[in-house]
Amino acid sequence: MRNLRAFCGVMWALLRELADENAYRRHLNMYGLAHSPEVWRAFADERAKMRYSRPKCC
Amino acid sequence: MPQAASASRFKNILGHLLWAAFAILAASCLAAIAINHGERINSAWLVLAAACTYTLGYRFYAKFIAARVMTLDNQRATPAERLENGHDFVPTNKWVLFGHHFAAIAGPGPLVGPVLAAQFGYLPGTLWIIIGAVLGGAVQDFVILFASMRRDGKSLGQMAREEIGKLGGFVALLTVLLIMIILLAVVALVVVNALAGSPWGTFTIAATMPIAVFMGWYLRFRRPGRVLECSIIGFLLVVAAIFAGQWVAQSQVWATVFTLSTVALAFCIIIYGFLASALPVWLLLAPRDYLSTFVKLGVIFLLAVGIIFVRPELELPAFTRFTDGTGPIFAGKIFPFCFITIACGAISGFHSLISSGTTPKMIAKEQHAWPVGYGSMLLESFVAVMAMIAACVMHPGVYFAVNSPAGIVGATPAAVVATISSWGFPVSVAEMQELARGVGERTLFYRTGGAPSLALGMAHIFARSGGGQAVIGFWYHFAIMFEALFILTIIDAGTRVGRFMLQDLLGHVHPSLGRTSWMPGVIATSSAVVLGWGYFLYQGVRDPLGGINSLWPLFGIANQLLATIALCVATTILIKMHRTRYIWITGLPLVWLVTVTFTAAWQKIFSPLPRLGFLAQAKELQRALRAGAVPAGQMALTQTLIFNARLDAVVCGIFLALVAVILVDSVRVWAGILRGTRESTVAEAPFVLSRLQAEEV
Repeated sequence: MRNLRAFCGVMWALLRELADENAYRRHLNMYGLAHSPEVWRAFADERAKMRYSRPKCC
Repeated sequence: MPQAASASRFKNILGHLLWAAFAILAASCLAAIAINHGERINSAWLVLAAACTYTLGYRFYAKFIAARVMTLDNQRATPAERLENGHDFVPTNKWVLFGHHFAAIAGPGPLVGPVLAAQFGYLPGTLWIIIGAVLGGAVQDFVILFASMRRDGKSLGQMAREEIGKLGGFVALLTVLLIMIILLAVVALVVVNALAGSPWGTFTIAATMPIAVFMGWYLRFRRPGRVLECSIIGFLLVVAAIFAGQWVAQSQVWATVFTLSTVALAFCIIIYGFLASALPVWLLLAPRDYLSTFVKLGVIFLLAVGIIFVRPELELPAFTRFTDGTGPIFAGKIFPFCFITIACGAISGFHSLISSGTTPKMIAKEQHAWPVGYGSMLLESFVAVMAMIAACVMHPGVYFAVNSPAGIVGATPAAVVATISSWGFPVSVAEMQELARGVGERTLFYRTGGAPSLALGMAHIFARSGGGQAVIGFWYHFAIMFEALFILTIIDAGTRVGRFMLQDLLGHVHPSLGRTSWMPGVIATSSAVVLGWGYFLYQGVRDPLGGINSLWPLFGIANQLLATIALCVATTILIKMHRTRYIWITGLPLVWLVTVTFTAAWQKIFSPLPRLGFLAQAKELQRALRAGAVPAGQMALTQTLIFNARLDAVVCGIFLALVAVILVDSVRVWAGILRGTRESTVAEAPFVLSRLQAEEV
C-alpha cells in the first residue's frame, strides 16, 4: 500500500512537472509572491521563451 | 558472524543465478524471434526479448559506464544544486525527471520509422532497435547528459566548440538548422498523407486548433495556472471532436468541405506553420504542447497495456523479399537503409540536443544520470518495438497496399492489388474496401508516410482490447489525432526555433537581423524557415514516388549525422578525461554510424538506380524529356522533379561535407592529445561538495 501511494505520488508530481504547475509553485516560493493572473502570465511568458528557443525532439 | 557471512554469500550466489537466468531468457527470446522464420510469431516474444535485453543492458553495461568510465559521484554537487535558481536549474526527483526527459525525447520518429522499416520484415528493424539502443542510442544520451551535467548544462554546440574547436561549434549549429528544415518537411508530409481525402481526420485535426486557442484563453484569463484542469477539458473536447468527425464524414455537405487533396493540405500546413510561429506562444503553441504531451504519454501507456493484454500474432514475415532494395515504400537495401530509416528508437542525434538542454540542469544527484539518460532511451526504444508490432499485426498485403505510392504499385485499386499479390502478399480490393469502411475512410490505398498504417495497427490492438470492430473507426481516428497533434506542435515549435537559429547565424552578418524583437527581421527569418521546409513538403506531395522515398532517408541520414557529431564530442571528452582505454564505448557506435550514414548518403546521391540515386533519377527524367517521352502537360512537373532530385543530392552532399569536417577536426584533436602535442584540458566545472540529502529529492 505504501509503495502504491509512493508510485501515485511520483506520477502526480510528474504530471504537475509536465504541466509546469510545480515550476510555478517554485517560482512563487522563490520570489515570495502570491498567485495572481498577472504573476502567472509573467511566469508563463518567461517559461515559454525558454522552452521554445530549443528544438523539440523528433 | 559466520552465519551472516554465509547468508550474504548465499544471497550473492542467488543474485548471480537470477541474472544468469535472465540472460538465458533474453538470449532465448532473441533466438526465438531470429530463428523462427517459417511460422507466425507472437508479439510477446518481441516484448520479452526487448524487456530482458534492456534490463541486462541497464543493469550491467550502463552500470559499467557509470562506475568505470564516468565515475559518477553523488558527493559532487550538480549544476541543479550549485546554480539553483527556481527556473531552469532545479534539483528534481529522479523519476519525475525520467518522465520529463522521456516526454521530451519521444516524438513521431520512434513511431513512424519502424513502421516504414517493416517493409524488410519484422526482424531486422526489431534487432536494430533493441541492440542499437542498448549499445548506441542510450550510450549517446547518457554520455552527452553526463558531459553537459559536468559543464553546467552546456549545449551540444557549446561543447563541440569548447572540446573540438570553433569550427566544430559552427558546423554543429548549421547542421542542426538544416536537419530542422528536413525534419519539419518530413513530419508535415506524414500528416498530409494521413489526412488527404479523409474528412473525418481533417475535421478532427482542424478542430484541435480552436480547442487549443480556447485552452490558451482559459489558461491565460479564465483560470490562470490551472494547466492540468485545462488539459483535461482540452482532452475531452478533442475526444468530442473525434466523434463529431464521424458525423462530418457522413454529411454530404461537410464531407466535401473537409475532403482535401495533398497539395491543398500542404498549403494549409505551410500557412499554419507561419501563423503559429508568429502568434503569441500562449495562444496556440503552449496549450497544445501541454495537451499533446499528456495524450502522447497516455497513448504510449495504453498501447503497451494493449499489446501485453492482446499479445497479437505478427502477420508480416521475419524477412520480406525487399531486403534486396526493391521495396515499394522506399528504395535501398537492408544495409544501410534499415539503420537510417529507424533512427529514433535505436539512436537519434536529436536526443543529444535534449540531453544537453533542460535535463542536465535538473539532475539532483550525479547517479540519476544513469536512469534518466540511459533508462529513458531504453523506454523510447520500447516504444519503437511497439510501433513495429503495431505495423506487423496487419496482413502483409494490406500493409503494402496502404504504404505504397501509386508510382510503384499502379494508379487503380485493381492494379495495386494485382501488383502486391504478385509479390506473394495476397490482398483484394474487397478486403481493402471493407477495412476502409470499418475505420470510416473512403480508401486506404496510397496512404504513405507510416501514420495511417500505424493507426490501423493501433486501432486493431485497441479494438481487440475492448469494444471490438464497432469502435475501430474511433480508435483509428484517435490514433491519427494523437500522431497529428504532436507533429503539429513540432512544426510550429520547430519553425520558431529555426527562426531563432537563423537569426543567430544572420546576426553575425548584420546585428539587426539577430534581434528577436525587430519585426522585419522576425518576419523575414520566419518566412525563410517556413519556405525552406515548405518547399521540401511541396516537393514530397508532388513526388510520384510518394515523397517518403526521398525525404525520409534524407531525414534519417541527417539525424544520424547529428548523432555522429554527438559521438565525436563524447569521444573527445572521454579522451580528455584520460579514459582512452574505454573510447570503444562511444567509438564503436561512432564507427558504425559513420559507415552507415556515409554509405547511405553516397548511395542516395550516386547510385545508378533511378529510384535510389537522386542524380540517376534526375538523369533518367532528363533523358525522357529529351526523348519526347513526357506528355506536354507534364513538362513543367518533370522539370521541377529534375530540379528537386538535384536539390536533394546537394542537400545530402552538404550534410556529408559538414559531418566530414567535424569528423576530421575531431580526429585531429584526438591524435594531438594521444601524441602529446595538444593540451588535454577537461572543461568540467570544479568539484563542489554536495550538501543535498538524497531524501530531499
